[in-house]
Amino acid sequence: MILTLRLGSVVAFLLVWEWAARVPVSFNFPSPLATLLALIALVRSGALPAATVTSLGSLLLGFGAAVIVGVPLGLLMGTVPPLGRLTRVYLDLLIALPTAALVPLVILSVGINVVSSAVIVFAFSAPFVTMNAYGGVREVRPRLVEMARAFDATWGQLFARIVLPSALPMILAGIRYGLSRAFVGLVVAELLLSPFGLGRLIMASRSMFEHDRMFATVLWTLLLAAAALALLGRLETRWLRWRT
Amino acid sequence: MTAAAEPLPLAGRSRGGGLVDIAAILLLALVWEIVGRLDVSMFVPPLSSVAVAWWRLAADGTLLRAASSSLVSLVQGFVPAAVLGVALGLAMGRFAALRHVLDGWVNTLMSAPLSALVPVLIALFGIRDTVVAAAVFVFSFFVIVVNTMTGVRGTERSLVEMARSFGAGEVAQFRRVYLPSALPAIMLGLRLGAVQAVKGMVVGEMLISLVGLGERLIYYGNTFLITDLYAVIVTVLVIALGVSQLAQSADRALVHWK
Amino acid sequence: MADVMTAELAPIDRGVPSPSVGIAVESVSKAFGTVTALADVTVRVAAGEFVTLIGPSGCGKTTLLKIIAGLVLPDGGRVLVDGRPVTGPRRECSLVFQDFALLPWATVQRNVEFGLLLRGARAGERAAIARRYVTKVGLAGFEDAYPAQLSGGMQQRVGLARALAVDPRVLLMDEPFASIDEQTRRLFQDDLLALWSEERKTVVFVTHSMEEAIYLSDRVVVLSPRPGRVHRVLDVPLPRPREATDVRATVEFTRLVDNLWKILRKLQ
Repeated sequence: MILTLRLGSVVAFLLVWEWAARVPVSFNFPSPLATLLALIALVRSGALPAATVTSLGSLLLGFGAAVIVGVPLGLLMGTVPPLGRLTRVYLDLLIALPTAALVPLVILSVGINVVSSAVIVFAFSAPFVTMNAYGGVREVRPRLVEMARAFDATWGQLFARIVLPSALPMILAGIRYGLSRAFVGLVVAELLLSPFGLGRLIMASRSMFEHDRMFATVLWTLLLAAAALALLGRLETRWLRWRT
Repeated sequence: MTAAAEPLPLAGRSRGGGLVDIAAILLLALVWEIVGRLDVSMFVPPLSSVAVAWWRLAADGTLLRAASSSLVSLVQGFVPAAVLGVALGLAMGRFAALRHVLDGWVNTLMSAPLSALVPVLIALFGIRDTVVAAAVFVFSFFVIVVNTMTGVRGTERSLVEMARSFGAGEVAQFRRVYLPSALPAIMLGLRLGAVQAVKGMVVGEMLISLVGLGERLIYYGNTFLITDLYAVIVTVLVIALGVSQLAQSADRALVHWK
Repeated sequence: MADVMTAELAPIDRGVPSPSVGIAVESVSKAFGTVTALADVTVRVAAGEFVTLIGPSGCGKTTLLKIIAGLVLPDGGRVLVDGRPVTGPRRECSLVFQDFALLPWATVQRNVEFGLLLRGARAGERAAIARRYVTKVGLAGFEDAYPAQLSGGMQQRVGLARALAVDPRVLLMDEPFASIDEQTRRLFQDDLLALWSEERKTVVFVTHSMEEAIYLSDRVVVLSPRPGRVHRVLDVPLPRPREATDVRATVEFTRLVDNLWKILRKLQ
């Protein structure tokens, strides 16, 4: 029943879209069919795959860096409370600031290349990854730490066997949220930098009034992001079986 | 009747943290000034130069013009998003069929890179300031819907049953139990939505590069006016913090029982 | 919808509380999916009587209470309150809940007024009546406190005040003291009996405490589990008033509790 409703909503969406394309609302509003054809053409020509690879490259670079830097930093913040208390003020500011505002600065200082794209992705995702790792450590049940100490656990054992496993769900949640933020950062970066990648494809198609191509690329980007997040969600569930 | 004990005080928000926050910011300001003076990079000017630039831009009206355009778009986009978002969230929370149809869409779009939709908005509206309001709407709408819906669905069954036992019909149950019960979640959604709205405002303005603070960011970036760029970034941060504070105060004022 | 009030509008303001009425449960059965919760349950409660429902887990005592309250409709049989069949929540009945069911966003005063509000009382009347019952349950001075500031025992007093404020003829109580510590519970039991003797409502009380059952009631109905049926009905001929007496220390009391335990033990 639920599946029928969901499929029904997709069909309804397509129908509304088709109708919107027919109505002379604005110039060149592409229909679902036109979008699909454009999508196929873009894949065939190699433009979409190439753009995807470039974009994903920046994403992995920036997001990877965010995880490699963010998780240890967050863990450190959690284990050294004064450091944590101080650093989180800066992280809160970074999270409050609309990160897109930093893009012109990045362009100025780093230029327009794959690295600047990655830097922006990093800026979008690292604060969240860090804050979540920090939160994970802070929320370790004191009881468990007490218990381990009562058994004379060394500092290393305490960290590896109590703190880390307890913090893991929040760390993973932070990584998953960080990935969705990384995609947001990627798209913002590419739309503003637009020398290459999916963002360039979107902006170029728009400026050439090839709206069917633009729609196709936008849709593709959204689906890509959704797919990546779903995959990560699956992995997270696997690793956190004990939580159920 | 036997006498009862003293009431416990309502849990308050921690106060001691404020000093640490201020100290941290002062430290940052100090480091910034020193690093800037040391001329480590032309892209890190000293805080004092940024302050001077900010003052200049404030005095000649540039900041005021840009900020008011931005804020107007913000309100134009956020208010409909709030009204429609809460309405849809309430409906989806209350009617399971509607929820099953729409929640896949709403949940996906909530965390999707919505900036990808801004070019679509530009195609729809052309390069004009309406795009900014539309971007603000799109960025904030979904998070408001999801939080409102969650709030309604989280209503305790026993409270609804209690209301039924006193004769409350569907409408009374909704008005007197579901709605107040969902209020904390609705306020959370509006707070998050407000933060998202500011982001949508900045992204939208940067992409159309026509008006507002976003346009100034692009302009100063293109013309290498670094201190002016920093001045605008700081302004954007202050506005973002202001909006967030406003939302938090509204939350505290309305949700007075937690 | 079965939410429509079936009784005529009882006058809200009163100097004299409304007289209590009797309950007749006739051959009630209820199933949830493939599980039969109650099968052919017949119980009669006289006006002004204090009856307890007790039994092992899964015997359907809470379900039966909800059926009497009109919140759940039986599959078979019927319930009569004051001679008229129950088709939905009734004006004559008022419930007290195990988890208190207080509105967290409302003050004590507003919570006690809630039942009156839903039944159409006007603001001025509501406030006056509510204030009276807040005092009656010993919470004078706490009218503006929120549930989060109160202990479990105090919260349940609010629940009781709310239930009494609508001047019910029947009081239905679903393990009301289960979430309260024993010392507070004993005090509360005495307070309940004191209030009850003032306004002799018909009370149907659900509990799993045998001692509580014997202490409070005129009769104890023992239900057997899965499916719930009336297994035995015990008379409790202990004299009243029982609050603030040493009845718990008497031989009679101990014997009754022991009998009840013997019956229940066989049902486990």
